[in-house]
Amino acid sequence: MIMSTPVIWVIFPIIVAGICIFLSSRRRLTMAIASLTAFVLALLAAFFPEELNISIGPLAITLVESLHVLGRKLNLIYGMFPMIALIYGTTGLWLLTSNLPGVPKAFQPASLVIAATITAALGVEPFLYAALFIETAVLISVPMLTSLGGDKNQGILRYLSLMTIAMPFILIAGWLLSGVVTLPSDSPLIGQSAVVLGLGFAIWLAVFPFHNWVPMVSQTSHPVVSSFLLFILPTGILVFGLNFLNRYGFLRSSETLFNIIRITGALMIAFGGVLTAAQDLLKRAFGFSALTEIGYSLLALGMASEGGIIWLLLMFPARALGYWLWGYTLSRFESNYDVPLNLDVIQGDGRRVPILSTGLILAQLSVAGLPLLASFPIKIALLTQAMVESKVLGGWSLFGALGLFLFSIRVLLSLYHPGDFETQQPLLPKESFLIYLPVILAIGLLVVLGLFPGKLFSGIINTLSAFPQLQ
Amino acid sequence: MQSLPTLALVIIVIAGMTILISRDWRIIAIALGVQYLGVFILVSLTWPINLAVIKLITGWMATAAIAFTCLRHNRSATQPESFASFLFRGLAGLLIVLLIFILSPSVQSQIFPSVDLILIQGGLMMIGLSLMKLGLNSEPYPVIISLFSFLAGFEVIHAALELSSLLTGLFVVVNLGLALTGVYLIVSMEDTKATSEEGDLR
Repeated sequence: MIMSTPVIWVIFPIIVAGICIFLSSRRRLTMAIASLTAFVLALLAAFFPEELNISIGPLAITLVESLHVLGRKLNLIYGMFPMIALIYGTTGLWLLTSNLPGVPKAFQPASLVIAATITAALGVEPFLYAALFIETAVLISVPMLTSLGGDKNQGILRYLSLMTIAMPFILIAGWLLSGVVTLPSDSPLIGQSAVVLGLGFAIWLAVFPFHNWVPMVSQTSHPVVSSFLLFILPTGILVFGLNFLNRYGFLRSSETLFNIIRITGALMIAFGGVLTAAQDLLKRAFGFSALTEIGYSLLALGMASEGGIIWLLLMFPARALGYWLWGYTLSRFESNYDVPLNLDVIQGDGRRVPILSTGLILAQLSVAGLPLLASFPIKIALLTQAMVESKVLGGWSLFGALGLFLFSIRVLLSLYHPGDFETQQPLLPKESFLIYLPVILAIGLLVVLGLFPGKLFSGIINTLSAFPQLQ
Repeated sequence: MQSLPTLALVIIVIAGMTILISRDWRIIAIALGVQYLGVFILVSLTWPINLAVIKLITGWMATAAIAFTCLRHNRSATQPESFASFLFRGLAGLLIVLLIFILSPSVQSQIFPSVDLILIQGGLMMIGLSLMKLGLNSEPYPVIISLFSFLAGFEVIHAALELSSLLTGLFVVVNLGLALTGVYLIVSMEDTKATSEEGDLR
């Protein structure tokens, strides 16, 4: 039997999402179907043999890497499989928590379709059309960010507007870049194309001053949903961005471009870190931390010639785990309070729900880059290299990282310090096994990733084989 | 035949200004529908009619979806506003129109030399006016309408650069997706308003 990779990793999950919509009244069933689909697709992508042939009993399946659609190609090559595995693996992980109280019904089908459209974006030819797939993912994400009856849509409208405005910049930049390949290196058109491209990516990646939707969406949406979106979307966009560096030699060899990316990354880390440290609202703080993480990604990308792209890729699994745990613990806390989660509200909760509280703190510290936790090995390498490149660059990055630590300490103090509100608060239900098991597993994985960097999820580096010029 | 593109540009400018100035959702919806007619004429200068008409049909479908949602929710036709804000929007719109007429020739010569000037003027006009509208509003209806207008402006320019069935299909998906998203957000907001008003009456 011959099948094409886009049918399996793009069309099939969309069909499953459709089934989930039909069965939406039975949420446990749809959760099982959706998460199982995501995990099976992730495992297939992770372990499929390179020759693209497998035999299951009498059935021999051969995969072809492309599917022709309206005269163009969707081309999911073997080199992209590790990234596809990451996308579906993390989607499956988030789908496991899709039945938590308050998670919108739309999350299950929408997350599957988002994973499918981002996968399609990584494989469409010409690659510029990926901008439209990413815009489609953005549009699909809106119903899961809000629920009918929700009145706090300002952040979502800004998110929708900025993402829609960014798309034309990418398409125009791609068209301009295809024309400048043959021009002399001092042509002004090269600079203009790079500016248009940079503007498009800056808007997409919520770089200051286009960032304000991130904390707003993070504050008003369910933590499970916002953590998923703030992981999957920048990841897809960053990997799509590697296409530009892979295809255009003059971008690859431009020292100015990488300097700008590095500086932007360091400023994003500092900006996000400082604002995170100043927050009282936990969900909003998560939004600012996500900006810091985008900064780390940009810093890594800016140091591509020193192996930054490998750090960029290695950061994704650790980040996914940290975000997931952060989203999960926040949603567990949130379901017990009618008021927005802030440092006053959670006072004393460290004594009542110690495992959840530990999960929340460790998720934050992992994202911050605490030693022994998942992000530490990559972030220490990144910060060290930044310091070697320039003391100012490294200094600002370190300053931002300290902001995340400061916020974690504030949360820790609040959790374990009994306050005036303690007697007025409803008591949280006793932590049951089903509530804390995911937390313990995630903490264990965070520690294992931190202790043995490069042992788990190191296959993600093989994504570079899809970008031969960047290896 | 030369007058047809000029007519399209005039339609786009008038419709764009109407969308920017008016606060009546019915007038805005009609103006957007008319604007898509201008888009169709401009796109048909570079694309075959049978492909260009897709833009018109998609635009009208999207406009209808949003307009019928407002109709169903008995959205109030106009909202009170001062003459000063009306005047401000009008003057800002005129400034954008003037600016685009001045800048278009240099945009054409430096960036899009192969694209007809009238296409650039029409596209930039929609982009500029819609961005102004976007900046002045924070409710779902005007924001979504502005995004439609913005995308239409971009599509006019991009149509002159590339002809692809897949791209056309993807733009249809994006436009209709935006319409559905808009419908979702409008319904969400109107339901909240209705619930809070009921609560106030009790």
